[in-house]
Amino acid sequence: MADKFKVLQPWVTLLSRLVLGGVLLVAGGLKVGNLPKSAMAVRSYEMLPIPLANFLGYTLPWIEIGMGLLLIVGVAVKISGALGALTMLAFIIAIAQAWARGLSIDCGCFGGGGAIDPEDTKYPQKLLENMGLMSLGIFLYFFPKGRFGLEK
Amino acid sequence: MATNSGSDKGTRNLVIGMVAFIVAVGIIFSFISNRANSNYAIPATVSEADGYGIVLNPTATPTIDIWVDYQCPACRTFEVLNGGYINEVIAQKKAKVVFHPLTFIGAESIIAANAAACAADENKFVDMNLALFQNQPNNENSGQWQAEAMLALGESVGIKSETFKQCVRDGNYVKWTRNVTDASANKNVNSTPTIRINGKDLDRNTEYGDPVKFKAALAAAGVK
Repeated sequence: MADKFKVLQPWVTLLSRLVLGGVLLVAGGLKVGNLPKSAMAVRSYEMLPIPLANFLGYTLPWIEIGMGLLLIVGVAVKISGALGALTMLAFIIAIAQAWARGLSIDCGCFGGGGAIDPEDTKYPQKLLENMGLMSLGIFLYFFPKGRFGLEK
Repeated sequence: MATNSGSDKGTRNLVIGMVAFIVAVGIIFSFISNRANSNYAIPATVSEADGYGIVLNPTATPTIDIWVDYQCPACRTFEVLNGGYINEVIAQKKAKVVFHPLTFIGAESIIAANAAACAADENKFVDMNLALFQNQPNNENSGQWQAEAMLALGESVGIKSETFKQCVRDGNYVKWTRNVTDASANKNVNSTPTIRINGKDLDRNTEYGDPVKFKAALAAAGVK
């Protein structure tokens, strides 16, 4: 059992890096082209003071791209995995509070965002997605060394 | 594996440095390219104090603020349902109405917002606003809304002046749309359409899509 894990772990690390990194890269990339909309998506969670929400809307997509690049090439995996997991945790909290308060918003995860019709919200699905991604980040924090990382 | 750890560390630092550089440059560029500025050209009817919106009946009360994107289907629906009544309110000076054209959907929203602002300078904003929604393309940024299409819409509502044509072709008020976006962000406008009366949101789930309830909401705020 322990041996099996030893063999598999580098591959699981690689897969986690590519999935979490790929999702972050795509999510950031889809948002940088329309940052005013990204800011609107952050505001619509009604969690942060407006100036802070706007600032985050402009900066977060670039930070997602940065984390995604590091994870994909395999550099500073321990730290970027942990940061990725923390980012996902923040999203989980944001989505859960929006759901609990009955806000009707699009998560704005991959562009889009803002107020939508109540029947179009996808809270359970988005929470599960983010929990899955968070667990990949946690795995990378504990097992950062894997296959095909630039950093050995 | 760690036979070459010196150069490995160098590679690591180089990659981290490059990624940090991309992120930093991206952030700085984003803030600069979306920056609002009170020096941008604005139509005569636009007021900075009203969030850079196009103001009709500036001295009337109450104030109705309307944020739309000319490419947004829900905005078109709203206009179809309630636009007639809003235009009646404007014509009879029963309220101050402020239009804020947002451009989240992209390039053709900017072209349309610019054309609407140019029409405002010709005293034809209400007609142009309606014409834009009536001729909204089925797909976003489909290539249909270029300057020539805006000129044709302008002509259809009776705008013949050269200034209008120049204004549309040169995109005189393109940068003004950044001011509108920035002001709407500070006012926490998170969707299009958004309608507020004296700063208070109407209920988007009930009052936007029902002309009777919309009228009632306006009446309750003092539109008689």
